[in-house]
Amino acid sequence: MTRALLLFAFAALAAFSPAQDLVKQGEAVFSKSCATGYCHGAKGTNGGAPRLAARGFDQAFIANTVQRGIPSTAMPAFGTTLSRADLNAVVAYVASLNGVTNLITNSGPGGAPAVKLSGDAARGRDLFSDAVRSFGRCSTCHEAGGIGIAVATPIAKVPADAAALKALSTSQVSTVTLGGESMPALLVSKKANTVVFYDLTSVPPVLRTESPSAVQTRDGSPWRHASVIGAYNDAELSAILSYLRAVVKP
Amino acid sequence: MRIPAFFLLALLPLSAQDAGVTRNDWLHYGGTQFSWRYSALDQVNTSNVKNLLPAWIFQTGDYTEYLGSTPIVADGVLYLISASARVFALDAAKGTLIWQYRYPAPRPGIAGSHSDFIQNRGVALTDGKIIFGTRDNFLVALDQKTGKEMWKVSVDDPKQCGCNNLSAPLVVKDKIIVGGNGGDQAHRGYLTAFYAKTGRLAWRWYVVPAPGEKGNETWKGDSWRFGGGSPWLTGSFDPDLNLVYWGTGNAAADFYDADRVAAGTNKSKDVNLYTASVVALDADTGKLRWHFQEVPDDIWDYDSAYEVLLMDRQIRGQMRKVLVHMNKSGLTFVLDRATGEFLSSFNVPEVSNWMTGVTEDGKLVGRNEPVLGKTQSFCPSTAGAKSWNSTAYSPRTGFLYTPTNELCNDITSNDTKPTEGRFFMNGDFPTKLPPNRTTYSHVDAWDPVTGKRMWSMPYKFVLLSSMLATAGDLVFTGDPEGNFFALDARTGNKLWTFQTGAGHRGGSISYSVNGRQYIAVTTGFQQTVVGSAIVGLFPEQSFRPGSTLVVFALPEGSR
Repeated sequence: MTRALLLFAFAALAAFSPAQDLVKQGEAVFSKSCATGYCHGAKGTNGGAPRLAARGFDQAFIANTVQRGIPSTAMPAFGTTLSRADLNAVVAYVASLNGVTNLITNSGPGGAPAVKLSGDAARGRDLFSDAVRSFGRCSTCHEAGGIGIAVATPIAKVPADAAALKALSTSQVSTVTLGGESMPALLVSKKANTVVFYDLTSVPPVLRTESPSAVQTRDGSPWRHASVIGAYNDAELSAILSYLRAVVKP
Repeated sequence: MRIPAFFLLALLPLSAQDAGVTRNDWLHYGGTQFSWRYSALDQVNTSNVKNLLPAWIFQTGDYTEYLGSTPIVADGVLYLISASARVFALDAAKGTLIWQYRYPAPRPGIAGSHSDFIQNRGVALTDGKIIFGTRDNFLVALDQKTGKEMWKVSVDDPKQCGCNNLSAPLVVKDKIIVGGNGGDQAHRGYLTAFYAKTGRLAWRWYVVPAPGEKGNETWKGDSWRFGGGSPWLTGSFDPDLNLVYWGTGNAAADFYDADRVAAGTNKSKDVNLYTASVVALDADTGKLRWHFQEVPDDIWDYDSAYEVLLMDRQIRGQMRKVLVHMNKSGLTFVLDRATGEFLSSFNVPEVSNWMTGVTEDGKLVGRNEPVLGKTQSFCPSTAGAKSWNSTAYSPRTGFLYTPTNELCNDITSNDTKPTEGRFFMNGDFPTKLPPNRTTYSHVDAWDPVTGKRMWSMPYKFVLLSSMLATAGDLVFTGDPEGNFFALDARTGNKLWTFQTGAGHRGGSISYSVNGRQYIAVTTGFQQTVVGSAIVGLFPEQSFRPGSTLVVFALPEGSR
């Protein structure tokens, strides 16, 4: 390629710069994560938090603040919660509010990894944490693919089908007896002064801290996983398993 | 036969008059479960209040945000929670530390959601436990004697819902009930009851009914899924009726309703149930007994989440069990608390343009709604004719004491679609001062039965601290400049003021130890949300942050 052609290619790139699209995308991210009236307001002009427009911020400063937040203030670190693409976009947008014209389209490392899912797995992801099922959803006790609460140990092996999921043996669930009452429990720690366990009598599980002298523990429990997945039918469980297959690394 | 008077007294059923007042202790967020914030102590009164001096001061050391909580006192011990959930048990007479607890670093929520706001409004005490919510949405129980954690339960997943619970839980018999915020996010609000002993779930009641449940038909399409309504403050409890009362938040999205209200809907009653309502739930089951919607299709963010005061009053010649409830608009309703029947209403702010009145059966008239694509000024503002800080009620005067603000905001609506857990307010709403005024707030005394303002004391900035009423016929509150002051409960005359060094955004209480009456107030002005909006309105002022409890008493020997 000749030098002239190369220059032409750069010029063309500039004319169809992705920067404008990026700023537009950034405005959409900004409107949901930053622009609320409690915080920076529409177009970063007003609201409870400091104004962001026309402050003379450069893009590196903006990228750093967006990613890391400002400790001990309401300004959070977005570096692990927004995707790389959304981070780039929102940083570019705030830079544009500060008159930065030579926008950098990739403002650094980090960002939440994007997991692409389709069909059954995507439906399974939504079901896994479906808020309509209240505490009956999987994510009350399980974390998978960055969704949910890690009460149970990470899922290592995904059951083959809904029947296998229902028949799942849960050897890690033990029995704690406290004040004459026996309950299914997941032991978290046993120390000289404290026994910490999840009480699985009902959902959501309750993290309880007791003195070792007050509790007896023994292996095994009549508790069965089948008793807590009644919020889903077999087809839904099957979709959830597809999701788990997509995100659980063996 | 002559019956001794004390015997007659014992035969009388426990009346609201008794159930609403605190004495030596201050056991609940609102004083009692009737939420009056009224102390029967009268050692400090209108004639000697001028002698009040600090007895002790406690600095929490947690200066990340304001101290907005209301302390609890039981048997000479004061329990205090700071913004980032450090909990302290203090000798209530001396201020010496008995134990302290530090909540660990919170689990992640959604950046740019409620989990960013560092605050806590108070603890609850029951079953030998100090119980509180956290900004990463746990409910935590500590041993009252040692401060050691006993149980901890996840109310919801903050990285999914963008929600948490930062208000004092309500003690109801063997249960502890928490609301939660999240109504500004794409979220569906609820109240949850846990057993105090074990932390196990007792019941959950969703503000927004699911398909197949009564009330779901008041929502367009599947807008109910993220319909908001989060009951984000603390409710009340009437043990005689076995009913729990709670105010619910606004419908979501706030400023744009075309996605949640079907075209042509009659907006006079019951739109987007049960948002912006007062609800009465069976205390044991959480089943809805009755509801009264104060703001059908709440398109202004006037959510009804505020405190519910339970009292018995003579109305049209008949003793009635009533509740008095103000929402953010300042419109205050008097309802029969057994049935939910509308009895009367009165409007507290002087500047109000969102409606023109209320009918004799409690329906709004002359709605003035935001329009997509237009910027219009609405008053009061979303910060509220009153913010979340509480009113107080004195059974001696029969007056309700309110800290009222005169603010407006310029609302510009948009039609953004929801993403679960992300902000879903659909509008921009910068707070503005109304024109042609020199004062922007006032402490008022209202007779809730007649709806008459009995007196009003203007203040130049705004008032964001809870009221305290006492049997010494005093009303206490604090201002953003740092002044803590006492007014004559009958006239509103200012009798005493003390500069505490930092702005007020919390609450004051009164209690007694060994016969000495104390008045405790939390200080330190809010840096985010409403607090920062207010700072922005008065840029020349210094509304200082901090996190200090200041406790007053009459000097020893002067009583």
